[in-house]
Amino acid sequence: MRKIYLLVLALALFFSSCEKDDICDANTATTPRLVIQFYDFANPSVLKNVTNLKVVGAGMTDGIIFNGTETTSGNTISIPLKTNDVTTSYTFTLNSGNSNPALVNVDNIKFDYTKNDIFVSRACGFKTIFMLNPTNPYTHTIAADKWIKYISVEKSNIENENETHIKIFF
Amino acid sequence: MKHTLKYFFSFCLVLSISLAKAQDTTPKDELTKQPTPKTDGVLPESPESFKNVDLTAKTKDSIVPVPVKTDRYGVRVGVDLYKLTRALYDKDYKGIEFVGDYRLTKKYYLAAELGNENKTTDDNRLNSTAKGSYLKAGFDYNAYQNWLNMENIISVGLRYGFSTFSQQLNSYKIYNANPYFGEVPPIPSGQKFNGLTASWIEVVAGVKAKVFNNVFVGFSLQLKRLVSNKEPDNFENLYIPGFNRTYDGDFGVGFNYTVTYFVPIYKKKVKPVIVSKKSDKKK
Repeated sequence: MRKIYLLVLALALFFSSCEKDDICDANTATTPRLVIQFYDFANPSVLKNVTNLKVVGAGMTDGIIFNGTETTSGNTISIPLKTNDVTTSYTFTLNSGNSNPALVNVDNIKFDYTKNDIFVSRACGFKTIFMLNPTNPYTHTIAADKWIKYISVEKSNIENENETHIKIFF
Repeated sequence: MKHTLKYFFSFCLVLSISLAKAQDTTPKDELTKQPTPKTDGVLPESPESFKNVDLTAKTKDSIVPVPVKTDRYGVRVGVDLYKLTRALYDKDYKGIEFVGDYRLTKKYYLAAELGNENKTTDDNRLNSTAKGSYLKAGFDYNAYQNWLNMENIISVGLRYGFSTFSQQLNSYKIYNANPYFGEVPPIPSGQKFNGLTASWIEVVAGVKAKVFNNVFVGFSLQLKRLVSNKEPDNFENLYIPGFNRTYDGDFGVGFNYTVTYFVPIYKKKVKPVIVSKKSDKKK
């Protein structure tokens, strides 16, 4: 009898372990974001921190949340691209919320790309990877005064978040 | 979770049957003991002459059943009712499985299953349909010691299964850990993956009981492990006909509930009891 109970227990454990593939593991590499790093225009090899940068997608009211806030003062940001469209536009606002309106500077960048849906697993479904348009990867437009001086595409294949895809010099 | 419970309960059912088997052996012992108390009861009453008569009767009793007991050999064919009736309550499933076995020796049976399934799997992020046919072949070993002229089976067996099928991806969702632009609704696909194959080994534990004449009812539980699996590009075999749902590893489980008809071909006398005792010792 004891052997039978052991068998039931072993079988129950066996089946319970099978359930884990019903939930998509957070560590699974799924749809990647566009990774942008900011560099000093005067000294192009040196990373430069932005000040209170707010990034808002076209048609959206709220900005992308970086570490709990809508503004960031770091040198690297990751922004999502639309998985159901081939263009995504963002406004990059420097010194966002500054009391001096003369310092608030808004630049607009539109990214053009092709996308490809890749199977991940039963639990995660598919992910989308992107390839920036080789001839015209981005369109940089400004409202009044531009703060972004140069944009460089480092990797046009956006397949994971471990590498920098775009460098912005200012 | 629902499926896990289902298999768990069906396994408990198998266990409950094996308990019933354990209980069967005790009355068997009682039965063999029964004649002796009777003669014991007679002994003190009767003088020596009666005792002689009893002895001959006793030896006659032990001789008579031996030539009478024969094992029937033949082919058993049937159908899996579980798959057949599932279409009635599960609109995402259509399937049929024919089962058959042939008695090779006293304990061993050649066994095979042939089936066809059409199953739509609706996961949270994927909806796909698998269609195809499969064949499983192997053997069953009857571990049940029948007494008198019973023909019940409690078996363990091995099968090699092979399936040829196609999959169709009906719709899918993109997993986006950063849904800034909102959750995207499922994307219809309709992409079809043809010419897929898979093969596997399975261990089968089953019970078959003779309900009347040559009709048997039984069920079995199968644990499977994939041997080969030809996966499509940019997709995965989420369901393999015959193997059922695939899990992260190579394991699968299965269940069937069969009704079979036994076609006797020839009879074989059961050899003297001593032989069966030896085989018992071997176990």
